[in-house]
Amino acid sequence: MRRQIWSIGGGKGGIGKSLLAASLGWQLARLGKRVVLVDADLGGANLHTCLGVPGPSRTLGDFILRRVERIEDVVVDTPFPRLRLISGASDVLGAANINYQQKVRVLNKLRCLDVDIVLIDLGAGTSHNIIDFFLISDVSLLAVVPEPTSIENGYRFIKSALYRRLRNAAPNPAVREVIDAALDQKNTQGIRTPLDLLAAVEREDPAAVARLRRELGEFHPRFIVNQVRSPADIAVGHQLVTACARHLGVRASYAGYVHYDDAVWRAVRQRRLFAEKDPDSAPALETRQIARSLVEGETLALTW
Amino acid sequence: MSAPTETHYGVLGIGPRATPEQVERAYRHAAGLYEADALATYSLLDTEEREQARERVEAAYGVLRDPARRHQYDVALGLVSEASPPALAAAPPPPPGTGRAPVVVLPDPVTGPDLKRFRESRGISLREIATASKVGIRYLEYIEAERKDVLPAPVYLRGFVQEYARVVGLDPRQTAESYVARVVSARQA
Repeated sequence: MRRQIWSIGGGKGGIGKSLLAASLGWQLARLGKRVVLVDADLGGANLHTCLGVPGPSRTLGDFILRRVERIEDVVVDTPFPRLRLISGASDVLGAANINYQQKVRVLNKLRCLDVDIVLIDLGAGTSHNIIDFFLISDVSLLAVVPEPTSIENGYRFIKSALYRRLRNAAPNPAVREVIDAALDQKNTQGIRTPLDLLAAVEREDPAAVARLRRELGEFHPRFIVNQVRSPADIAVGHQLVTACARHLGVRASYAGYVHYDDAVWRAVRQRRLFAEKDPDSAPALETRQIARSLVEGETLALTW
Repeated sequence: MSAPTETHYGVLGIGPRATPEQVERAYRHAAGLYEADALATYSLLDTEEREQARERVEAAYGVLRDPARRHQYDVALGLVSEASPPALAAAPPPPPGTGRAPVVVLPDPVTGPDLKRFRESRGISLREIATASKVGIRYLEYIEAERKDVLPAPVYLRGFVQEYARVVGLDPRQTAESYVARVVSARQA
């Protein structure tokens, strides 16, 4: 397996994304992968707490602000074999608003780390910083919980990421203008979905649409449905995949689901990684299954 | 939005060789997607769009669930000739890789909870397995719960687990061997 960058976003805060990232990282390390977890929740970093380690003295902020020159200098060990951490930048004022050059420098250096998987925990929201980390990833995970607010934000995240990808690929200003208009949900051109957008681009510049279709075809978010409580909640993941395909034209997949379990918050209260504290609990077994499936390139497909 | 020229098969997301059971399962998935308060579509579609989508699903199901109407539809699509019998239930199973998800191999050892998680992830009920496999639902529950005290002898258990695996889309042989070996060794311990 070549070196890969994975990211996990979600649009909404408080859905257990950092806990998922920590557990997935730990499970991947148990599967023999050399993993670096990156807390890219600049301004709200707490991945170290999910792993049960004290806040490291060196953070991503030190690298961004050039207090250290090499990104390896901010990688710290965890108590777990093969799992290391780049902590976030909550101690750095202004680091939440890194500029384009700083972002490119971070991404380039992450690609050069001598590991199997770099797993980036993205912050909440749909800012360009978050979206750009999501877009450069080999595996782009989207965490949601089976609640209306989370699903709504999940779709918003998908549209924001896709439109930014299409805009980056737009061959001329006229097409970029159409995409910018689409970002306004109340646009006057009636563009509500990526499929509407492609139709509008085709009217504006028929030659450009093939390129954008290719970009759309290569955009492949993978859902994780967290905190499920019932078979109906589990089925939400399948429904999201179908809805994305039919109504957005997006080829999403279902990486897996994780049950709600009090064992998780008990572990957090003790500042312990839940998967390590209670490895036979449903959430631990389910994150193990997700990690294994992602490594092997499998998804949960409906069986007809 | 889905194309207005989409076939009934496309609306339900199945191939033209889908069995009646597959039509039923695909319909339940699609119908759930367009319920008024469905999480996956409430923020994506407005009321009118959802209603239109729901009507397309119902129209597709109305035709594909009825062997005679489905046959007429297949003839109109040019999938079969007028003369061929509408014996859909007797149609040969689709070749591997067409119309079914690929068979999955679970990591060894396969446990009852592993089977339950996999089944739930595929949205398949125990009743559906019981209907398709003729294995009693009680035994299916015992298998998932690993009730070693009431599970049948290994020779029967192997067959039951194979049937379970076949219905949910797991590798029947590997699943049964792994599961039964674990149960037998636990009984001997």
